[in-house]
Amino acid sequence: MNGLRRIVHIDMDAFYASVEQRDRPDLRGQPVVVGGSPEQRGVVAAASYEARTFGVHSAMPMSRAVRLCPSLIIVRPDFQKYRAVSQQIFEIFRSVTPLVEGLSLDEAYLDVTENAWGATLGTDVARRLKAEIRAATSLTASAGVAPNKFLAKIASGWQKPDGLTVIPPEKVESFLQRLPVDALWGVGPVTTRKLRARGIERLVDVRAADLGVLRETVGSLADWLQQLARGEDDRPVVPDHDAKSSGSENTFARDLTDIHEMRNEVSEMARDAARWLVRHERYARTVTIKVRYYDFTTITRSHSDEPTRDEDAIVARAIALLDRTDANTRAVRLLGVSVHNLVTELIELPEPQPKLPFDEAGPKGPALHL
Amino acid sequence: MELVVRKNDLLRELQLFQGIVERKNTIPILANVLIEANGNEVRMLATDLEVALRSKCQASVAKSGSLTLPAKKLYEIIKALPETDVRIEEDKNGVKVAADRFDSRMQTLPREDFPTLPDATGKSRAALPRNALKEMVAKTQFAITGEDTRYFLNGAKFVLKPDSITLVATDGHRLALVEVAHKVGVTEELGVILPKKTLLELGKLLMDGDGDVMFESGENHLFFEVGDRMLISRMIDGQFPAYERVIPKGNDKHIDFERERLTNAVKRVALLSNERSRAVKFDIAKGKVDVTSSSSEFGEAREEIPVDFTGAPLTISFNAQYVLDFLNVVETDTVQLSLKDEVSQAVMKPVGAQGYDYTYVIMPMRI
Repeated sequence: MNGLRRIVHIDMDAFYASVEQRDRPDLRGQPVVVGGSPEQRGVVAAASYEARTFGVHSAMPMSRAVRLCPSLIIVRPDFQKYRAVSQQIFEIFRSVTPLVEGLSLDEAYLDVTENAWGATLGTDVARRLKAEIRAATSLTASAGVAPNKFLAKIASGWQKPDGLTVIPPEKVESFLQRLPVDALWGVGPVTTRKLRARGIERLVDVRAADLGVLRETVGSLADWLQQLARGEDDRPVVPDHDAKSSGSENTFARDLTDIHEMRNEVSEMARDAARWLVRHERYARTVTIKVRYYDFTTITRSHSDEPTRDEDAIVARAIALLDRTDANTRAVRLLGVSVHNLVTELIELPEPQPKLPFDEAGPKGPALHL
Repeated sequence: MELVVRKNDLLRELQLFQGIVERKNTIPILANVLIEANGNEVRMLATDLEVALRSKCQASVAKSGSLTLPAKKLYEIIKALPETDVRIEEDKNGVKVAADRFDSRMQTLPREDFPTLPDATGKSRAALPRNALKEMVAKTQFAITGEDTRYFLNGAKFVLKPDSITLVATDGHRLALVEVAHKVGVTEELGVILPKKTLLELGKLLMDGDGDVMFESGENHLFFEVGDRMLISRMIDGQFPAYERVIPKGNDKHIDFERERLTNAVKRVALLSNERSRAVKFDIAKGKVDVTSSSSEFGEAREEIPVDFTGAPLTISFNAQYVLDFLNVVETDTVQLSLKDEVSQAVMKPVGAQGYDYTYVIMPMRI
């Protein structure tokens, strides 16, 4: 790709909650959350701006949300409806450019460097997108416009709701200077605390940080973080159907017979897969390993569970799968690890089939013992 | 080795080995059945290293000895033969399998490669009532997960107490438990996890015949002697979940259904359920339960079942397959559904079952 890109990140404002408020006038102006009930260990899937003033935010346990805001109105999610609205919005996106990468029902990247409207300014595209979304759905969106994905995403969150923030190339540096390090996704509160302890407060401090120290703190994300600190992010906008899985495999120069060595190989590949998920802003439900034995018989083993992109969790799943093969008794010539069933947000859909509560105390006090 | 055996005798045994030998086997010898001829019988053994089966049948042995043959091919050949005597003979060129005008030579693998399996000691055995065991296996095995990284969920918990036998299986979403009161003849409680395959094969062995099943627990293996056959199973390591915890005690709403009527209604209504979730909804009201489904793709369905219920209305959803799995293995005319509320575990039980206590726990769906 030649020259500078124009990337737009669109994020609907309090999407599920706004849809409910739009359809039910009695909810307008009220603290509304969409999610499961507090008795069922539900979480907040979306909070209206009125609810947010109480400190309620998405992914928070519903029981806590109710404590923060006793007048909270809880609406059960209607994902069929949200999906229908989402389709309307994505149709608008795709009328501008085929390069639309949806991150969830209410969030997407668009590469509008070339666009069907013939607009030369990303700002104009973003403004018109917002207007069309409002006309079609009566909902507001916030937009960020920047030369790359990471800056566009931060920009869209800069002024919410109904915001439009533009970071033109010449303003990138001054924008970066203002960013705290936890403005980045993938940098949670724990990492932030660790970085602060090492004197890294702002994103730009990462530039000067010693790579060794940085690796100690954020592990394999260190290089990536340094790139971002320089404002560099060359990840393309990948239309949705492209990224369905990621993985790697390795044929060894000599067959492996030591299970510990195999476990190391598998963990390395699992870590690579986890890093890929972080870079692509996705979570994986399924981890698969592939084992080819010395005699070329090849097997795969898969495990599906709650979506994750946590390195340790993915490593643990991959190792558990390896331990279910004959790898400890048979020489191995190839190992592979991949992640599938990708989702873009953790609170997308509550699992419709809950599990039996083995891990809790019984409903009537302590468990019975035989 | 040289022997003559009746086709049907051999076929009956070889059939039982087909489930033991793994199709996708990576160790060649495990595709073979070990055949040992001695005295007036032929003994057979096959294993996938998790489960093994020993059995035997009558034969006239001209020259005793042992060899291995591919279990599947041998079975196919014997099955295709007319009802006659089969001759198996080893010479320096290989193994000959012949009958009537049919003649064949089969590839063999060295007998020495065949894994050694532990033997039962014959001590501390427990006699298990055959029919009860058969019921227990049939009523729990479907609830075991096939592929779970929580290895212990790939099996069923088997508990022997001095006066009862219990078998429990769960996939984390539903749980099936059968308890039979019986003087087992053990003095100490014993709890082990049986692999899914062991239950499946044990179920097959119990299909016909009579007499108690003799059970013995070794160091790492379990032995089930069913007539002339012995099933040997590895135990699964691990802690089975504390299943008592998820069996609700306080479900105070009870609804009795005619089993047939409920089964048919759920089957029909499930045809228009969401393909992935397979959810059917029970709209419970005074005097009736509406079983309903809807899918954005296909449409919706409803069937009304009259019931004797006077409590407050309640709506609860289940995976249709979980409900049908239970209904398919129950024989009583009436089944009872017990509920607490829309989100807590529901319990299903056969009403008036003789000789066993069957509890089926289902986690409702959030719809």
